[in-house]
Amino acid sequence: MDRRRLLTTAVLGGAAGLVGATALGSLSPEDVWAAEGANAKINPGDPDPNFVEGRVTAVSDAVVFVTSSDGTYHSIRVTTGTSIWKLNPSTLDEVKVGDGLYARGVRMPDNTLAADSLWVNIVNLNAHVDSIGRGHLNLDHHGQRVVAHVEQGRSAAVYNNTPAVSDMSMLQAGKHVKVIGAWHPDTNEITISTVYAAV
Amino acid sequence: MAALYGEVSWFCCGNSWGPCGSTGHGSCGTCNSGSRQHAWPNASDACFAITRPDRCGENLLRRTCGHVHTTTNRCNGKAVATSIADCGPQTDLFCGERTCCGTVCGSNRVIDLTPSAYSAIASLSSGLTPAMVS
Repeated sequence: MDRRRLLTTAVLGGAAGLVGATALGSLSPEDVWAAEGANAKINPGDPDPNFVEGRVTAVSDAVVFVTSSDGTYHSIRVTTGTSIWKLNPSTLDEVKVGDGLYARGVRMPDNTLAADSLWVNIVNLNAHVDSIGRGHLNLDHHGQRVVAHVEQGRSAAVYNNTPAVSDMSMLQAGKHVKVIGAWHPDTNEITISTVYAAV
Repeated sequence: MAALYGEVSWFCCGNSWGPCGSTGHGSCGTCNSGSRQHAWPNASDACFAITRPDRCGENLLRRTCGHVHTTTNRCNGKAVATSIADCGPQTDLFCGERTCCGTVCGSNRVIDLTPSAYSAIASLSSGLTPAMVS
């Protein structure tokens, strides 16, 4: 059974469908990509109908309601096979009103998006390190100050081609970094997942 | 064009939430996170003067707004076709950087995809991926 049919079955089949999805195993990104024939049907430059960006306005049962930055409304159906990232692998009950998200999935006949993956509050910043404080970096991102917090046991650094390590001591003020992190909604703060730095 | 090997990442553009809200629609004026688009380091003279991939030994052809590239994730073989909508990444800031999955590696940042495009071939949480661009 391909991914699109599986998700369609899971969503349209209600609870039994959700159990069915689980019984078929975890819905890995590779499964999704392998089955997502829709990729080939989207012209370069065009909006991707299987992708949603926006802010969460409500969470009800297994549906996340989102308003995109262009003002359009989306309903995102979460199944037991949906992977949710919110700094760490997460669950639907950690998705809150006000969160920002990106979602990828499959459009259902009622125009809901059956989600393969949700990335909640994820940011990817190319920034300049203004200064380094105790447990955080002060970043300049397109002229805006961003405070990037280090979470012990979670935040990691990659220096050139080294494996990710917890040691942030090689980061330097005045250098550029790329930061994958989780935004704290309605603030200029993030928590670092991985910071990539040239040394 | 001959296949180019390097690193692919993602960037946000257009109207968006959080720190992405200040990024704008890119140098082509058309960039949106939800569209199948990318940033290219040699999209104009002004762009090249900023990104300087040549300083990392990368000889990238001049390609302008709307040109289509296909990016293949060398970790899983998935590919996505996108059009140029912005200038970037700033390759010279990370010369020599290398990303690997197993024995497959890519060096130097040569292309940035929108979240829509990147998530079609890799997880957004991965950040950097070895890629082939054609």
